[in-house]
Amino acid sequence: MAAGLYDGPMLAAFEHVSLRYDASRPVLEDITFTLPAGGFYFLTGPSGAGKSSLLRLIYRAERPTAGRVFLFGHDTTHADRNELPALRRQIGMVFQDFRLIPHLTAQENAALPLRLAGSNEDYIERHTRELLEWVGVGARRNALPAELSGGEQQRVAIARAVVNRPKLLLADEPTGNVDDETAIKLFHLFDELNRLGTAVILATHQHNLVERFKKPALQLKAGRLISTMAKAA
Amino acid sequence: MALPNHIFAPAFRHRGLGWFLALLVGIMVYLASFAMAAEAGLSVMTFRWDRNMSSRLTVEIPPADDESSTPQSERVKQVLEKLRGMPDIKKVVPLPDSETAELLKPWIRQSDLLKSLPLPTLIDIELRGGASLDAADIHSKLRTAVKDVSVNDHAAWLDDLAHLARGIAAMAALTIFLTCTALVMTISLVCRAIMATERETISLLHTLGAEDDHIARHFQLHAGRQSIPASFAGFTLAVLSAGVLFFFLRNFADPLSLTTIHWIGLGLAVLAIPLGAIGIAALTARLSALQLLRSMP
Repeated sequence: MAAGLYDGPMLAAFEHVSLRYDASRPVLEDITFTLPAGGFYFLTGPSGAGKSSLLRLIYRAERPTAGRVFLFGHDTTHADRNELPALRRQIGMVFQDFRLIPHLTAQENAALPLRLAGSNEDYIERHTRELLEWVGVGARRNALPAELSGGEQQRVAIARAVVNRPKLLLADEPTGNVDDETAIKLFHLFDELNRLGTAVILATHQHNLVERFKKPALQLKAGRLISTMAKAA
Repeated sequence: MALPNHIFAPAFRHRGLGWFLALLVGIMVYLASFAMAAEAGLSVMTFRWDRNMSSRLTVEIPPADDESSTPQSERVKQVLEKLRGMPDIKKVVPLPDSETAELLKPWIRQSDLLKSLPLPTLIDIELRGGASLDAADIHSKLRTAVKDVSVNDHAAWLDDLAHLARGIAAMAALTIFLTCTALVMTISLVCRAIMATERETISLLHTLGAEDDHIARHFQLHAGRQSIPASFAGFTLAVLSAGVLFFFLRNFADPLSLTTIHWIGLGLAVLAIPLGAIGIAALTARLSALQLLRSMP
């Protein structure tokens, strides 16, 4: 398992991982890195560099064409389909396009992971209400996604991602559809979540934000990892 | 229920897929219920005919020839005496000429012609339970009094009736089987269509850690719910249609003369169709969804 790179508790590790969707050139090629547990990591690179594909490999939406993927110390490369739900419940996901279910209210959307985990109604109601307050959309909890601004929708999506206290939060261009001011607020929110104990891997191509927050970064270019763990300047 | 009940509700409303499913379930329940009601009703009637007729025989005394020395009334009297002297015969009822003429009315509507026709005299006889006599025994005993008398035990007619009932039962079973097959295929197709429209939601739920069963349960729930009113509408229509059928059959066997047990059995048999359709719809939706979900990443 990515031996020699890191010996402490491990969040995620890739060992010579490649991914190709068809016979064309690989989306990711020979990626190797180890991320220590509990950290906040940026995944940077231009559009099409393979950031989303790398995140999809972490939550096993894709299986690598070559190499091995480890998550929380377990080899997930060949994990059985039945093992995936339990694995994914330890991961929160935030997407650029929010992916809120349009006919569910903000609170119903945020509560989905708790429902899938079988939590009781009282806990779901209380906890999602508190969390929506915390991310700043408590007053809008009964609104449908279409009635919310882009920033509000992303806050609901973040609440949904962390509502069941995941070990890891994966964010794929989470600020791509919001203005700069909202983007900075959302980054502060991710930072605060990380301080509360959730590891964060945040994919973005917005260098200004990466430089502002000074976190370790994995840099991708054309499917190859060109730098690892260097703190953004 | 892990997920909100209405999570896939818009998908079932999308392009009227839910209505399409409900309509097809209703039509199929109608066809199957009507087939079952007709089959069950005819079986019960056949049973009653069989029970009523198997211990009964009809003695036919042809009209006396003009040259015959014995008048018809005397021939009838002799036959009646013989019959009443047989201990195995429970009841002897000679049919009045007017009733015999009534039997011919569907074919000969002119009453004057009917009156002028030389009609045979019919005698309805009922054997005691466990009687050892059969039509041939009675015939041989009656021939000693009236040579050209005949005895009909209805066996041929009852055999034809039994064949007819078995044929109808087979057709009803085939109709129900084909209806169930069509129901399963339709629901499976509707589920595929709905899953295609909801691919993003399903993919999101998988990302959030949903198991296939969480999602499939909702397809089961929606298909079951859509089927309940449709099934009972189809069932009600089938019961009304069966009522009309029985109304037209009332001259052959009065359904109102059925016993309570028969009515309960008939009711349960027919009621099994809508309940079964709801169960088939729900189960098919669940299994179809599971099958499709397993093919997703």
